[in-house]
Amino acid sequence: MKLARLTAAAGLLAVLLFAPGLRADTLDRAGLVQELCGDAGAMGRAGTALVATAASGSAEDRAFAAPLARAVIDRKLGCDDAGAVLDEGGLDAITRMPRAAAGTPRSPLLSLKNRPVFELADAAFALRGAPAVAQRAAALKTLERRPAQIPEGLLDTAAAAESDAGLKEQIDTLAQTAALNASDPAARIRAIGRVAENPSRRALTRIAALESDPAYAANPEFRAAVDAATARIERGIALGDTLATLYNGLSFASILFMAAIGLAIIFGLMGVINLAQGELIMIGAYVTWLVQQGLRVAAPALLDWYLVLAIPVAFLATAAIGIALEALLLRHLYKRPLMSLLATWAVSLFLVNIVRVVFGTQNMQFETPFYVSGGVPVIGDFIFTWNRMFAIAFAIVTLALTWGVVRKTPLGLNIRAVTQNRDMAACIGIPTRRIDMMAFGFGSGLAGLAGLALSPIYSVNPQMGQNFIIDSFMVVVLGGVGTIAGTVLAALGIGQINVLIEPLWGAVAAKVIVLLMIIAFLQWRPEGLFAVKGRRK
Amino acid sequence: MSLTALLVDGLTVRFGSFRAIDDLSLAIDYGEVRAVIGPNGAGKTTLLDVISGITRPKQGRVLFDGALDLTQTSEAAIARAGLRRKFQKPSVFEGLTVRQHIAIGADFGFRSRLDTPALDDRICEVLETVGLTEHVTRLAGELSHGQKQWLEIGMVIASDPSVLMLDEPVAGLTDEETERTAKLVRALVRHDRAIIVVEHDMDFVERIADRVTVLHEGRTLFEGSMDKVRADAAVVDVYLGR
Amino acid sequence: MMRLGRNGPIVLLTGLILLVAVAMPALSGTSLEVSRYLANAIGQLAAFAVLAISLDLIWGYLGILSLGHGLFFAIGGYVFAMYLLKHSFVVTGTVPDFLQFMGWKDFPFYWAGFDFFPYAFTVAVLVTLLVSGIFGYVSFRSRVGGVYFAIITQALVYVAMLLMFRNDTGFGGNNGMTGFSVLFGWQMGTSGMITALAAGSLAVLALVLMLCRWLVGSRFGALMLATRDDEIRLQTLGYETLRLKLIVWCLSAVIAMVAGMLYVPQVGIINPRVLSPELSLEIAVWVAIGGRGHLVGAVIGALLVNAVKFWLSSAAPDIWPFILSGLIVLVVLVFPNGLMDLAKFRLTRPMGPKRMAEEIGEARP
Repeated sequence: MKLARLTAAAGLLAVLLFAPGLRADTLDRAGLVQELCGDAGAMGRAGTALVATAASGSAEDRAFAAPLARAVIDRKLGCDDAGAVLDEGGLDAITRMPRAAAGTPRSPLLSLKNRPVFELADAAFALRGAPAVAQRAAALKTLERRPAQIPEGLLDTAAAAESDAGLKEQIDTLAQTAALNASDPAARIRAIGRVAENPSRRALTRIAALESDPAYAANPEFRAAVDAATARIERGIALGDTLATLYNGLSFASILFMAAIGLAIIFGLMGVINLAQGELIMIGAYVTWLVQQGLRVAAPALLDWYLVLAIPVAFLATAAIGIALEALLLRHLYKRPLMSLLATWAVSLFLVNIVRVVFGTQNMQFETPFYVSGGVPVIGDFIFTWNRMFAIAFAIVTLALTWGVVRKTPLGLNIRAVTQNRDMAACIGIPTRRIDMMAFGFGSGLAGLAGLALSPIYSVNPQMGQNFIIDSFMVVVLGGVGTIAGTVLAALGIGQINVLIEPLWGAVAAKVIVLLMIIAFLQWRPEGLFAVKGRRK
Repeated sequence: MSLTALLVDGLTVRFGSFRAIDDLSLAIDYGEVRAVIGPNGAGKTTLLDVISGITRPKQGRVLFDGALDLTQTSEAAIARAGLRRKFQKPSVFEGLTVRQHIAIGADFGFRSRLDTPALDDRICEVLETVGLTEHVTRLAGELSHGQKQWLEIGMVIASDPSVLMLDEPVAGLTDEETERTAKLVRALVRHDRAIIVVEHDMDFVERIADRVTVLHEGRTLFEGSMDKVRADAAVVDVYLGR
Repeated sequence: MMRLGRNGPIVLLTGLILLVAVAMPALSGTSLEVSRYLANAIGQLAAFAVLAISLDLIWGYLGILSLGHGLFFAIGGYVFAMYLLKHSFVVTGTVPDFLQFMGWKDFPFYWAGFDFFPYAFTVAVLVTLLVSGIFGYVSFRSRVGGVYFAIITQALVYVAMLLMFRNDTGFGGNNGMTGFSVLFGWQMGTSGMITALAAGSLAVLALVLMLCRWLVGSRFGALMLATRDDEIRLQTLGYETLRLKLIVWCLSAVIAMVAGMLYVPQVGIINPRVLSPELSLEIAVWVAIGGRGHLVGAVIGALLVNAVKFWLSSAAPDIWPFILSGLIVLVVLVFPNGLMDLAKFRLTRPMGPKRMAEEIGEARP
């Protein structure tokens, strides 16, 4: 048994060595069939040829050879005088034309030594060519049993062609294992180098395992390669972790920014903090869900684009709620900011409970369109995920939009005028009440967009607003009244500090520290980062 | 006691990039009524804000009685040193009675230091001076605009201040009320007290002021008697607008 | 506005509270005996009324809205719960649930001495003064006020809630503390104990009410109103408003802490949910409904809102939030001074175009 395996391995090694040569030639089909019908030695040669074909043959050759390997294993190859037939007299093994068997066909029997070679070839063919994911996964399982014998290049090409992400990852893993366990020390060192090229915690575990390998103690070159790879991977992981933290912080800051910019504009304009802002975010997310459900019924083909199609809907729906809130409630609380705080809380209470009654308390299920699923692995364990990128890009667009509205439109000019001096603005004929209403609608609409942008990342339920609102308040307090730049900086700062502290001491400590920092900051600049000073009126 | 009550020395106040007061220096003596006039934005109220400690200047200092630098002193400490101010917008406590206002103005600290009969006498005296005796139990929120102005004057004079600042004391008052206020201001003049009045009403200023300082864009444009102010070409140009 | 001479309603209310406090134990055993449920409810309402007074003191009389008063309420509640658990452990040997849950063999070291009530009470007062003092000092010193102060206090109570939700703090984590069996050596849960707790709470309420009445009627109270109406004006008259605000703020925090101490033995549990921003906001709603700047109003507001809540939470729990939000809107729009407006039959019109024009007219004399 052991001897058989050794011989097979030696055969395979020979194939591996000659593989580049084989790649150039097309397969000698007649010769192959002839060898399949030959003695054990010939069959062994045929087996290695099949393995080589599976690894590096052309598509046609692989299509030709795959049924042969299977047929030999299943003993369905009939050798006869005219060569061989497949499937007990259906097709000619070489031409694949229908013909009857000439004489009594003989099914060649695989020797104990040759069987693993053929199984390997069969699995290799299946991995590259089987239509179903389950079949390819099963083939991979077979290959995993003999990592040392898998021909070089097979797994890489299979991985490149693989469409299923999970399986692709498994293939990559196996490829690395195979290479790391190769018998040729030079190949192993090359493999170590390749593993180190993509640093991750998994890669580190693999390389660390090699430290107990006999070669580590025996071969100084090997040892140096392992140590170098370990160092390189550790650097990569550290870099990746830093980037991942920054990236997560950036996406959190994006959500915070979108939640807070509306608050900041309204606060600057009317001195009112809208405690229902978190609930407007929640409404934005629910509107997005409704758009998704609507598309499911009305236009399933567009379902993937619900996140884009929901943008105007979420904005307008929440803006309408905001305008109604201003017109019905806050307008009457002019110059009573503390009362308007309570009034907006009443609205928040109402919205949470109405949503709870209508939709229930469970998390809403969202489709994950292709443009927010998956990501690009960058370095270490840092994956540049598209859902977070979506939020970041969305925040950038929102920032540009807000900046444009505030700086470049008549509405924005009026908002700035009323923010600076309401009485004077009223005197020169600016309809301050209308501006309040429009600005409130705009700020609320931005909250709705925040809800849309966070729906691919965070869970959506009636309580979700609470998770963002306190942080958004802190952004407004830190950023100062009604300044876009202040809000951006404060959101970035709070977002980053939160994610920086979280891995060290936990989420709660992060919140505590952020709050303490803000209180300390207010000692230094009581009116926030970008305060407009003036004399007492 | 030095002769100069307030010495403003090289004062600069900035709001962002705007210089509300720009390297301003002036001296106000005991015993005089000084009017500070100037167009809107000249820095008049800001000057009072610095003297009363509400606004901190970027540069310069304000010496009270030649010793106390007001730019380094808290509002409450400045008031306790004897500088009192009436604000531009009548600032009274809507929820308190007229009597409580004068009592608060006459004294400071959380416990009353004056014994009650003395306090009562002082309150009666002040109320008589500002003519609010019959309203002693009314809430300040119920008073008319002119009455609020006088109540605030009563509150700030109740403690016998050494420096009295009046920011637009006759804004929004009728002619008769203005007349009464002018008499009141002249009656408050004492040799150990400086009175600073910021006002737009030129006739009122002419009646009460010993000297006039004209501010323009945070600097002194002119200083002298009202007659000379009216005659000065530069002042006429920027302010009197003729 | 508060008229400082009028003592009628407050004397009447205090008398009524004391009457109920005396009547409840006096009637026990007779046919008019107050049921256990009712007695317990009355006791809890009294605790909430004390809490409402504490907020009214700083909001109504000083103009500082705290949306984090649940923090001080919770300090009192948690300390009292610690006393009860430690005391119960000493008397009966019952090991608290949370210790078993965490698999801890012994109380954490900072629980030492909590079975001695005077010590526990002192700790509660000191912690309350420390937290409120430091927070108040840094906030008032940097002139943080109005909406800023409100939302920072809200963040404070929210952060405290997150902290207490952690199981490793030694304060019961998200399950909180419960299973109190002995109070001052007496068995808890008996009719007598429930009545005694309720009567005691009412007595404390009456005491706090009279104390605050005395305070706001004093010269100090006048200065509080002056600070509320125009702080800078008062400062430029020579008063250190920072100290005044700090004193009232800390006093208010201690009263809220006492309310927490009354509350916990009567509900028999404390958990981090008392630190949720919602509870702190609700306190403001009680005061707003009762009428800011009126001690009587705050008490009546707390009693009414919570009585309705008690009744509805068994009858129709789902509609309570809707009723509460409706009440708030009604109060802020129609009765800006809460029930006090109703008492004076003076309905304020919502701001229509006419009144708006009047106000703008006023703004431009």
